[in-house]
Amino acid sequence: MSISPDRTYLARTFDDGRYAWARHPRVRRRAVIAEAALLVALVAATLAAASTDEGWTTWFFVTWTAGMVAFIPLHSVLNLGIRGVLDRDSRSLDEHQRRLGEQSHSAMGWPSAALGFAAFTGAVAVLALTEHVALALCLGFLLWFAGGLLTYWHLAWTSPEEPADIDL
Amino acid sequence: MGRQPKSDADKVHDRIAVLRADRGVSRKELADAVGVHPQTIGYVERGEYSPSLALALRIARFFGLPVEAVFSLDPLPSISQEILRRTS
Repeated sequence: MSISPDRTYLARTFDDGRYAWARHPRVRRRAVIAEAALLVALVAATLAAASTDEGWTTWFFVTWTAGMVAFIPLHSVLNLGIRGVLDRDSRSLDEHQRRLGEQSHSAMGWPSAALGFAAFTGAVAVLALTEHVALALCLGFLLWFAGGLLTYWHLAWTSPEEPADIDL
Repeated sequence: MGRQPKSDADKVHDRIAVLRADRGVSRKELADAVGVHPQTIGYVERGEYSPSLALALRIARFFGLPVEAVFSLDPLPSISQEILRRTS
């Protein structure tokens, strides 16, 4: 029986040398900052929309859609930077990669739970104060989503710089 | 499973880079033989990751050496120092 991690299609994609640029710590950290800034901006837009009488407006819909579309390439870069360690089947990871993933999961456990709680209370508060159901759901979703992303951000921020020249 | 050393005193020292150079083995070849990613071999060589016992034993077996000849809790003397010590 082989002791090597499975070479799944996903693993081969994340290990592809063409994406080596994304694994540099500076790129990974910039991706984290960009994702966090995007989510903060969307939360601010949601709160701003909730503070108006109209609530769900065209500008908010456009902002929300643009933000969600922008998130896709941003998260792709971030995930390439961490070799998809948190998304790949554990059989395709070696012991060091599994360890990195577990460390980030355990480090962000409580902050993720806190954001999950904030998502619920934030949505309830927006609904109680403004009666905008859609915006309350948007705010709840954004905070819950941020809670799920904390593990990715932690791993992308703290992963050590990869040794260069693997064939040395 | 292995772990990241918390301090210098916690570090596991190794001779993998020297042994690879001596045998003409690339990180990728060693990694494929012992079942890890090539970067993981790099992290072990840099002292940033202390391998599991199973991985340490597999690496030692790959080089055909006892595990204590490849890994040590104390800094390992260089090969040239060892040769000088034995010939003097």
